[in-house]
Amino acid sequence: MEFIAFVIAIAIANQALRGYKLSKEKTLLYLNLSFVLIGAGLLVDGLSSLIVFFAGARRGFLYPFAIGYTINFLAQVIAYGLLVYAYIHQARSVGGSPALVAAVPLLFFERNAFTELILIFLLVYIATQTGINFSISKSTNSMLVFGAFLSLSMAHVFFLIFTLAPIFYPIAHIAQLCGFLLLLAMLLRVNRST
Amino acid sequence: MMPEKQAEAKPTAKYRSQLRIYVDIMSVIQRESNEAKPTRILYGANLSHDRLVKYLDELKTLGVIQETGTVDKVYSLTQKGIEFMNNFRRVESFASAFGFRI
Repeated sequence: MEFIAFVIAIAIANQALRGYKLSKEKTLLYLNLSFVLIGAGLLVDGLSSLIVFFAGARRGFLYPFAIGYTINFLAQVIAYGLLVYAYIHQARSVGGSPALVAAVPLLFFERNAFTELILIFLLVYIATQTGINFSISKSTNSMLVFGAFLSLSMAHVFFLIFTLAPIFYPIAHIAQLCGFLLLLAMLLRVNRST
Repeated sequence: MMPEKQAEAKPTAKYRSQLRIYVDIMSVIQRESNEAKPTRILYGANLSHDRLVKYLDELKTLGVIQETGTVDKVYSLTQKGIEFMNNFRRVESFASAFGFRI
């Protein structure tokens, strides 16, 4: 699932880059960087899971999983942080530096409530912004983007609560995939419309 | 840069970027069945005469519009201009899906 999401994220990043080259609009550059980071994080997470699944799980070698999750988490925090900054930047049209990650932690960690809460906070903000955009524009494309970020927010809520019941883990992955598929649908609509 | 009439009327309105003015001019030409007189473009794109002349020259230099009239000046989009407009609409649609304005 991570690999499908990776391909979609890179496709979105590519479209944003083409838009930036044409318009020189910085928000599209932020969107591009954001989805490049999301794609890279998903790829690393997917690869580390594969390594653990095929080689390490039998010997209790779970370290790559923690490394993969850590890289994916940091990539997502910066990526969604960039998106939040892009929305704030556009809304207020002010300069200033984005809230970057001050220091990269040297410890590798596994999925936990704290990291998921950070991602949920950022994703809920983005989902709210895209929801407001949909309520104003009422367009199908903005509805798809809103649905995508809502779905990604739900995915991280399920990741947060999967310790309570393991069934939420596959549901979280399905919700994450649904989010990226909605973005793909938007991308296909945009490129088909002209 | 001189403010547009629209911007003067609405203090909260943002200045149009050069790209937006290009697109507005080219949209007027497209709307007029790809044959627009300067007066039409002037009103449609909401520009002063001086600025219209300046932008039309720039667009001609870029090769996205051409002057086709013999007696009266008439402007039309070139193939490059049509392709640019298609790309711009695609990008605009993509950006607006995320709530970003170009």
